[in-house]
Amino acid sequence: MQQVVENYWVFGAVCLVIALVLMRLLFRERITLQGSMSFLGFLTVLGLMAVFPNVTQRISKALGFTLMSNFFFCAAIAALAILHLRALVTLSRVHLRSIVLTQELAILQEKLDRVLEASRAEPRS
Amino acid sequence: MRLLVIIPAFNEQVALGVVLSELAALTPPAGIEISTLVVDDGSADRTAEVAHDGGARVLRLCRNLGIGGAVQSGLRLAYREGFDFAVQLDGDGQHPPSELVKLVTPALDAATAPDLIVGTRYRGKDNFRSTLLRRIGSWWLRTLLRVVTRVRVTDPTSGYRLYGPRALRLFDETYPYDFPEPESLAVARARGLTITEVPVQMRERQGGTSSIAGFSTVYYMFKVTIAVVLTYVRALGRKRKELDAAGS
Repeated sequence: MQQVVENYWVFGAVCLVIALVLMRLLFRERITLQGSMSFLGFLTVLGLMAVFPNVTQRISKALGFTLMSNFFFCAAIAALAILHLRALVTLSRVHLRSIVLTQELAILQEKLDRVLEASRAEPRS
Repeated sequence: MRLLVIIPAFNEQVALGVVLSELAALTPPAGIEISTLVVDDGSADRTAEVAHDGGARVLRLCRNLGIGGAVQSGLRLAYREGFDFAVQLDGDGQHPPSELVKLVTPALDAATAPDLIVGTRYRGKDNFRSTLLRRIGSWWLRTLLRVVTRVRVTDPTSGYRLYGPRALRLFDETYPYDFPEPESLAVARARGLTITEVPVQMRERQGGTSSIAGFSTVYYMFKVTIAVVLTYVRALGRKRKELDAAGS
């Protein structure tokens, strides 16, 4: 039976809109390029898959998917899960570093306060 | 010998003043010089001012880190400034400063001094009794620590404890942030530190509110169970890596 090639250009358009929002956030310096590169890559691949369904269908068939839409969503979910995991790792690292920085800042501030207090208490010659 | 009393405090302006005045009135054991440090964990009230007025050194954390982050700040300072011991004591008045001597005494003999001494409320007579749910939780943690880490303590959630030089060095490097009291026991055990406990009197908190109550106690127990196991396995792995590195 000949498999019908479905069109996913609407999905491609959605990817484009999200990519534009991402670019806007980048221009406004709300997110960094380093952190958003993987997300941009994901959107590009997903957009291309949606715009060129013939290629996507060939890949999905080779991977054993009966329906191309199943492959499409499986790929998207897997990529999103990886991106989320990556974000979680970054977030946890930043969180731990911020704890250490807060502690170091407090220790230095206390030292500085004591030095200033001591210098104020010393009689001026 | 120099001892640093670390008091983590979050919005404890009501009880902290009393704790500090009790500490000031305390006669330290012979040969012990006591300094007091209040770690203000991002309080929104006058905790830092009360601590300063009470004659304590004050570490002001610019944001709330939770009990683990606050205690580690104090332990870091104690380690870097070369204190011989540090005692952790709650700022809400649950831990009477007069009981401090009971924690310090076993640490005075360098030959037999344990690395970590935990003050327990469950071994003394006529002690303050916490709620039933808390006692069940404490029993579960006791069992968990005994089975997983082979640490035998009757009060694993007690925050009234003394840290020796080896514990100060270890906790400067790594200290659990999520559920520090039971987790730190697992870390200490995995890294080969000696742990003991002494009975101390505790009392009800003199001010502020507990962050763990009602259903959150059950959720706390679930999370802390996972945390203790993970922490112990992680600490064992680190120790193995260190031994491998030393060997090669």
